[in-house]
Amino acid sequence: MRIQMVASAAAVLTFGALLTGCGTAANNDTNNAGNTTGAAPKSNFKVGLVTDTGGLNDHGFNFLSNQGLQQAVKQLGVQGAVVQSQSANDYVPNLQRFARQGYNVVIAVGFLMDDAVKQVAPQYPNTKFLIIDDPIQGIPNVTSAIFNTEQCGYLVGAMAGLLEKQGKLPGLNSKNMLGVVGGQAIPPVTSYIAGFQQGVAKTDPGATVEVKFANSFSDQALGSQIAQQEINDGADILFQVAGGTGVGVINAAKSKHVYAIGVDADQAYLAPDTILTSAVKGVDTSTFDVIKQAVNHQWKSGIQYFDLKNNGVGLGTVNPKVPQDVQKQVDQLAQQIKNGTITVSPNMK
Amino acid sequence: MNILTNAQLWASTLAMAVPLALPAIGGTFSERTGVVNIAMEGIMLMGAFFGVAFSYWTGSAWVGLLCGLIMGGLLSAVFAWAAIRLAADQVVLGMAINIFAAGLTAFLLDTIFGFGGTPPQTPQLPTLSIPVLSSIPFIGAFFTNQSVLVYVMLVIVVLSHWFLFHTRIGLRMRSVGENPLAADTAGLNVWRLRYAGVIIGGVLSALGGVYLSLGILNSFDVNMTNGRGYIALAAMIFGKWTPLGSFAASLLFGFATALGIALQNHGISANLLGMLPYLLTILALAGLVGRSKAPAADGIPYNPQR
Repeated sequence: MRIQMVASAAAVLTFGALLTGCGTAANNDTNNAGNTTGAAPKSNFKVGLVTDTGGLNDHGFNFLSNQGLQQAVKQLGVQGAVVQSQSANDYVPNLQRFARQGYNVVIAVGFLMDDAVKQVAPQYPNTKFLIIDDPIQGIPNVTSAIFNTEQCGYLVGAMAGLLEKQGKLPGLNSKNMLGVVGGQAIPPVTSYIAGFQQGVAKTDPGATVEVKFANSFSDQALGSQIAQQEINDGADILFQVAGGTGVGVINAAKSKHVYAIGVDADQAYLAPDTILTSAVKGVDTSTFDVIKQAVNHQWKSGIQYFDLKNNGVGLGTVNPKVPQDVQKQVDQLAQQIKNGTITVSPNMK
Repeated sequence: MNILTNAQLWASTLAMAVPLALPAIGGTFSERTGVVNIAMEGIMLMGAFFGVAFSYWTGSAWVGLLCGLIMGGLLSAVFAWAAIRLAADQVVLGMAINIFAAGLTAFLLDTIFGFGGTPPQTPQLPTLSIPVLSSIPFIGAFFTNQSVLVYVMLVIVVLSHWFLFHTRIGLRMRSVGENPLAADTAGLNVWRLRYAGVIIGGVLSALGGVYLSLGILNSFDVNMTNGRGYIALAAMIFGKWTPLGSFAASLLFGFATALGIALQNHGISANLLGMLPYLLTILALAGLVGRSKAPAADGIPYNPQR
C-alpha cells in the first residue's frame, strides 16, 4: 500500500506537467487518505474513519460516511482523518493506529470489519467506535448503525409497480416486467431487493421482477451487459443495488431509453432524465449524528436503528416525470411503514 | 433453449469479447517479437482513465480516445525500454506496470475528480448500426447499436492478421521473436522491431481500456478492468499467439460471460455461473485445444554485443 502510494506520488510529479499542460483547472477540493481535513479545527475532538476495501470512491457507504465526517468537520469543528484499507489485513492495524493516537471516535465502515472492531475496541476502552451495517452488542464503547434498507427498497418498488401498471411514462413497454441488478447476494444488498419485491407485489401484483447478480461491485461493463439483457427480456425499470457496477446499469438504461432507480446515495445527478428516484441509505447523516452524540456527551452504545421513521433511509430526488398521484400513494405507504401498519421483511423471496 | 436464439445473448457475446480481443491481439504483437507482456491489465487502465479524463476536459470523446491511446502507448514504451534496453525480467516488469497503473489511476481519479467519480456529462463514443447487415435476422444483433469500437476491433482483427502473417515487416517481427541472432545476422534491427511490437501492443491494449470506459460507458472507476487484461493473456495463449485465434478465444470467453448472465434466472447459482469464463480459461491453458507453443525467443532479452 505504501509503495503504491509513493509510486503514485512520483508518477504524479512526472505526469503533472502533462496535466497542467491541458490548461484546465481540476477541482482539487477533495481530501486524500491520511491527511487531516478541512479548515482550522475549533476543537481537539478527533474522528478517524477507516474504509473497507471498497475505498472512498465506492459510490456507496464509504463515500457517504466520509461525507458525514466532512460535515462534522465543517459544522462541529472536529478534526477528521481518513485511511483507506487496501486489504482485509489492514482493518485491525488501521483501527488500532487511530485509537493509539488518541482519537475520540473511530468509524469502521462496513460489516466486513466486524471481527476487527470486536478485537480492537476492548483494547482501547477510552476510544469510541462506530461500525456501519453490522450489529455489535455488549461492548460499552461500540455503537452500531443498522439501516432498514428494506423499507426504502419497498417504497421504490411500490413506485416502480405503480408506474409500470399505469404504463404512461414515455418509453415503457407493454410487458409487465421490472429488473434488478445486484452486486453480490449479501444482506446489505438483498435487504434492498427484498423490499423492492414486496413493494412491487403490493402495487402491481402481476408484475415479474427479474433479479440478476453481477458478483462484483466494480465491473461497470458487466453491469451494463446485465442491464441490456434484462431490458431485452422486457424490463423497463431497473433497480440497481450494485455499487460501481450499478453505474453501468444506469448508463445502459439511459442509452436504451428506459428507467433506472439509484441506490445508497441520491444518484439523480448521474442521469437526471433516466433516474426515477433513489433508495437512499443515510450513512452520511447517521455518521454525522453519531459524531454529534459523542461531541455532546450523549454517546449510546449498542445498536442504533436508522429507518424511515428517523429519516435514516428514504427516497432521493423524485423525477418530475413521476405523476403526483403516484408520489402521493408512495407517501401514504411510507406513512403506513412508519406507523407499523406495514412491516417489510429483509429476506428475499 | 430459447436462450441461444436470443439475439441479445449474441450481442452481449460480441460486446464482452472486445475488451479481451484487443489486449489479446496487443499481447500477440508483443510476444511475437519476443517480449513477454503481462502488462495489458495496467495499460488498459491507463487507456481507460485518460480516455475519460481527456474526453471530459476537451468535450470530445474522439480526442479522449486518442489521448487514451497515447498514454497507453507511452506506458508501454517505458515497459519496452526496460524490457529491451535494460533486459529486465519481463514478468516482474509487467507485474510492476500493472500495480503502478492501478495505483496511479486510482490516485488520479481521487485527486482530479474527487470521490464522487468522473463527471456524468463526459462525452461517450457513439454507437452505430450497420445499415444492411443489421437487418439480417440472426447475425443482425452483432451489427445493431454496437459501440463504434466494436467495428474498429473487427477491422483490427483482420488487419493485424494480414500484417503479421502476410507482410514483409510482419515476417521480420516474427523472426526476431523466434531467432533474434539469425535476424540480427540478416541485418534486421532486433531492438527496433521489438519496440514496435510492444508499443503496437500497448496501443491496442489501451484501446481495449478505452472501449470499457468510453465505448460502453462514459466513466472511469477504480480497477474497472476487473482482471480482463489477464483473461486476455489466456485468450492470446488459447489463440496460439495469432490475432484470429485470440479473437476466437475472446468470443468464447465473451460467450461464457453472456451465457452466465442469461442462465441466472434458470435456477443456477450466480456464483457458479460467474466462474464459467475462468473455468474455460483453466481448460484452455490445460491444453484443451492442443499444445500452443510460444515464439521460441519469447521472454529472452537480446543483447546485440556491440
